[in-house]
Amino acid sequence: MSMTHSRIRRLSQLFIVGMALAVSGCGATPPASFRANLVEATKQRLTPDQEKQVATILEAMFGTPDRPCVLPETGLDVAKLRLAAGPVRSDIVGRKNGLYREHCAHCHGITGDGLGPTAAFLNPYPRDYRPGVFKFKSTERADKPTHDDLVRILHNGIPGTSMPSFALLSETQVDALAEYVKYLAMRGETELALMRAFFELDDADQGKLPETREFLVGETLAVVADRWKAAADAAIPVPQMPADIDLAASIAKGRELFYGDKANCVKCHGPTALGDGQANDYDDWNKPIVEWKKELAGTEDRAWASRATGVLAGDALTPRTIPPRNLRHGIYRGGRRPLDLYYRIHAGINGAPMPAAKGTIAPEDIWHIVNYVRSLPYELDGELGVDRPMVARDRF
Amino acid sequence: MSTSRVNWTHLVACLLVAVTAVLLCFGALVTTYEAAMAVPDWPATYGHNMFLFPMAQWLGGPWDLFLEHGHRLLGAVVGLLSLLVAGVVWRTGQRPAVRSLAVAAVLLVVVQGLLGGARVLLDDKTIAKVHACTGPLFFAVAIAIATLTRRAGPGLVAQPRDALLMPPQPRAVAATVGAAALVIAAYVQLVAGAQLRHLDAGIDPLTFRWLIGFHVVGAIVVAALVGLLAWVNGGTASVARRWSWLLAAVVVGQIGLGCAAWVVSWGLPSGLLPESWRLSEAIQARSMTGAAVVTGHVVLGMLILGGAVVLWLVSGGLRDPRTVRSGRVPAVRREGAFA
Repeated sequence: MSMTHSRIRRLSQLFIVGMALAVSGCGATPPASFRANLVEATKQRLTPDQEKQVATILEAMFGTPDRPCVLPETGLDVAKLRLAAGPVRSDIVGRKNGLYREHCAHCHGITGDGLGPTAAFLNPYPRDYRPGVFKFKSTERADKPTHDDLVRILHNGIPGTSMPSFALLSETQVDALAEYVKYLAMRGETELALMRAFFELDDADQGKLPETREFLVGETLAVVADRWKAAADAAIPVPQMPADIDLAASIAKGRELFYGDKANCVKCHGPTALGDGQANDYDDWNKPIVEWKKELAGTEDRAWASRATGVLAGDALTPRTIPPRNLRHGIYRGGRRPLDLYYRIHAGINGAPMPAAKGTIAPEDIWHIVNYVRSLPYELDGELGVDRPMVARDRF
Repeated sequence: MSTSRVNWTHLVACLLVAVTAVLLCFGALVTTYEAAMAVPDWPATYGHNMFLFPMAQWLGGPWDLFLEHGHRLLGAVVGLLSLLVAGVVWRTGQRPAVRSLAVAAVLLVVVQGLLGGARVLLDDKTIAKVHACTGPLFFAVAIAIATLTRRAGPGLVAQPRDALLMPPQPRAVAATVGAAALVIAAYVQLVAGAQLRHLDAGIDPLTFRWLIGFHVVGAIVVAALVGLLAWVNGGTASVARRWSWLLAAVVVGQIGLGCAAWVVSWGLPSGLLPESWRLSEAIQARSMTGAAVVTGHVVLGMLILGGAVVLWLVSGGLRDPRTVRSGRVPAVRREGAFA
């Protein structure tokens, strides 16, 4: 055989190596499955049998990623869920299924745990839906977002983050995705509730959750679902901004409040509003991990600590602090409408250290702060020796 | 046939390369728009014979259907062209290397078609990954056939006959070995890219981090090899020099497209950049710009592989070094590149 032939043979071998690389670690792609909340399971010191029981109950209640099902108590629309769930495919009229896996799962994960493949690279991390906590909404801090809130976020995206706008999708598709996000959140909340319920078992239960409709639906699922249903009627009442408002006076008043003790925005957003105040806090997704790590460092149960450390390495991202927003960028993650800023100030940001001004600041004063905040990207700050708008990049 | 003024073998091979390039663009778009399952059956299209599927429904139907069915039709055309190339190669008595490549092309196109069918019938992403790796390989083979069937072939043929009888110079050896390494690196990059493009949402962030790291290191290796080849071939007035510089320019563009592909998918890497660099607008999912950037990155990757194959061949790849060192003139002297 000539050298040329032997080279072609080597090329063929290279092809085989390439194919081996392509399929490395894979057989046929396994069907998609929901990932258990191992962080919570380990925290609650659940046994493998208990973890299995939770998984079985959840599958009976919510189905699988390829075939979701829900009980009527959730109030979710199965037709919408089926449009969003499952593998990506479309039919002869172009109707696409598997929207969540096409658009969301690579960041938010199949389970909605914020642990999709790309998650570690993104800052901020993608939202973990499982605690059922959402930041940008038109409801009070502790309430769930309305369906329209989720649709708005999907439509507009979140500027300054990796969350894109899905404005190019049809209304039906965005609607289905919002429904699926609620489904994943309810599933995650139910899972948390079930895992925490083991703590309340008595000896007669023999370490097993009661598998009765009363407990599973009445005391667990319905509690979660009712809070979601209540969101529709929990919109924050917003007084109209006075039409004849003197904007300059309003901004001055807002500035006074911003630096005053009552609103005390300056504490976190800093005297320059560049977000350089207190900056070592964590949000509600990262804080439990930080605290648990501290607990593990101090525990004497080394075997459990070792297991927990392994779980954290595989099922949690490295905690990051949440810097207060730099208000001179003019980038408002929850929406740039004055109304959106009103919601943020009134109710605070659920899951983040941003507190609610409700009860402390009068509604008309909240409008003044809104006007001041909106003026910040364009403010001339003589005190800092700057005779032009002090934009954030002046820091660098 | 060898005395014919028109080099039909080369022309048909070039046609195969051109149609394959369009096919690869369609394939890349199918992945970008996740349109692979727009047609649930195979080899039929919604119950129709693939070739008899109503044209109006194809061209006037949904975008996903247009892409997927178009990809299938182009695949069929490429299959037929591969058979034609094999026939012409045999008929014109090309040298064994070209004949082997023609056979490889036919085998690959058949395998690729079956993989495409299996991907649809089993709806399996692993098969999709393999399908995405076989496509560029077929393209590389088609380009090799087109290069080797040039009548006034590139590379050695432009050199004096004595050059063939001289022992290879260290620089020439470096050029050949470097080009071969570039072919391998460019292909491995496409394999890694296929893993990223057909991302299984079930994999964990750590695995993805490894994949990204591998792809970035691969890009550095490809860039370094292209730079090395531009330097090695820089002092000569050969075809290799032109291909080296062309590849260097394309690789620079490819790195830019790779960065842009990240930005249109996930925004600026805000953890690595100052906060003031954040985009003030949310990125737009499924935008034309995003699709063009991401698809362009894949297509340019395949063109780099094709260019690397040409560079390897014009730098002496597939030349028998024993023949050259022993002073024997290569045996086949018909229409091949070394005629």
